[in-house]
Amino acid sequence: MSRHAPIRPDPMPLREALRGLRFFLRRGAETLADTITIEQMPKPASDLAAMMLREIDDLASNVNDIASGIAKTMLGAEDQPSVTLKHLANGDAAAVHFGAAVYVALRSVLRRLGAPGVFVSEAAARRAWGQGQGNDAATLTIGLLNERVVRGTTAQEAAQVPGSALEPVALVAVMLWLQSTRSEDENEVALDAATDLAVALAAEVADACIARDASRITAIYTRYAAHV
Amino acid sequence: MSEPALHPEQLPPSNEPLRVAVRRLRWFKQAFLRHTEAQGRDLGCVFEVDEARLAAIFVRWLDAIELQKPSDKGQRRAFFEFAAALMLRELVANMPIRAFTPVTLSRSDSPATIWPEGYCCTMFCLSVHSAAMAQEFHTATDFDPALDELRHWWSFRENAREDAGFSAGFLQMILGNQPNWMFPDVFRERLTALIK
Repeated sequence: MSRHAPIRPDPMPLREALRGLRFFLRRGAETLADTITIEQMPKPASDLAAMMLREIDDLASNVNDIASGIAKTMLGAEDQPSVTLKHLANGDAAAVHFGAAVYVALRSVLRRLGAPGVFVSEAAARRAWGQGQGNDAATLTIGLLNERVVRGTTAQEAAQVPGSALEPVALVAVMLWLQSTRSEDENEVALDAATDLAVALAAEVADACIARDASRITAIYTRYAAHV
Repeated sequence: MSEPALHPEQLPPSNEPLRVAVRRLRWFKQAFLRHTEAQGRDLGCVFEVDEARLAAIFVRWLDAIELQKPSDKGQRRAFFEFAAALMLRELVANMPIRAFTPVTLSRSDSPATIWPEGYCCTMFCLSVHSAAMAQEFHTATDFDPALDELRHWWSFRENAREDAGFSAGFLQMILGNQPNWMFPDVFRERLTALIK
């Protein structure tokens, strides 16, 4: 009698929930600190508010440490995957691998763009794969936009591109990278180069993505994916 | 004529031919950063590189090449030289580097002293071009004596301010060609087609 491997539950929903909690606490603490102007409050309200902010900050920091620890050690490492779009389409569980690759790459791109606090949804990236026709890069890009893989950009102030272009530029950078020919050793520099390319093309990228214009997005990939 | 300060050893290794590698931003950027650092050491000055601007220059250069690429395969070699000229045009027009400190290790009559940024960018284009020519056509690149003459560099600097295309003509001249100074940044095959 053959023995089957036990079916393991998909850890992604839990991972996504922990990331969501981490994002909520980080952003919540930041927003509260921005909103409450303690200096203008009379005593003892100002002392009370300062103490409350400190408590919330400590709580956010503790939960962040726990969530980050669990997400990294128990639920899968966040190493940069070396997949390409072409290989993904031919492999099993393409949506799972696409979701994971997009998540890790997007986080890296957003950090480079000066927007590390933005939320990235791996679950939404998986759903975007389901909407695509095969591995067509432009359709996938529109799927990623429609599924709102990147969230919370409105509160982002430190971005190197205008607020409205941040999401399109970050997504196109990842898709350029996924289409690029590269060795495993070149993963990181290729992602940096894809980001620089997308930033250089920010106006064109933003226009095409906001209009959900697949032909213009395809034209960008056709022209530049080989030059990452 | 003195030896130009090329730095072929600073070009990053690649499994691909140089003509392909140079059209990848990751290689181009690494090559430029390494070259700039080596030039800074040679000249005794520190260059600051604007990487975002460098990426934008790379995109403009790619677009310019695509626009002027000849259909005739027989023009390939001539276009190789022209591609280097277009690269210098984009670099000079959007200068991605700034010398933080004055040049301290160069002769006072060196072109690097009067314009360190322009000199560094020109040497980068010549380095990449020479290495690619050696790899593709097994030929050494000869340089025109104008490379050493300050009056040409003054002219280059002044004219490039008014007309970005002048840089393309300067590089063609340094490579021993006679540029069309009316349209120095238009490839001659394309120019012929436009005139017809």
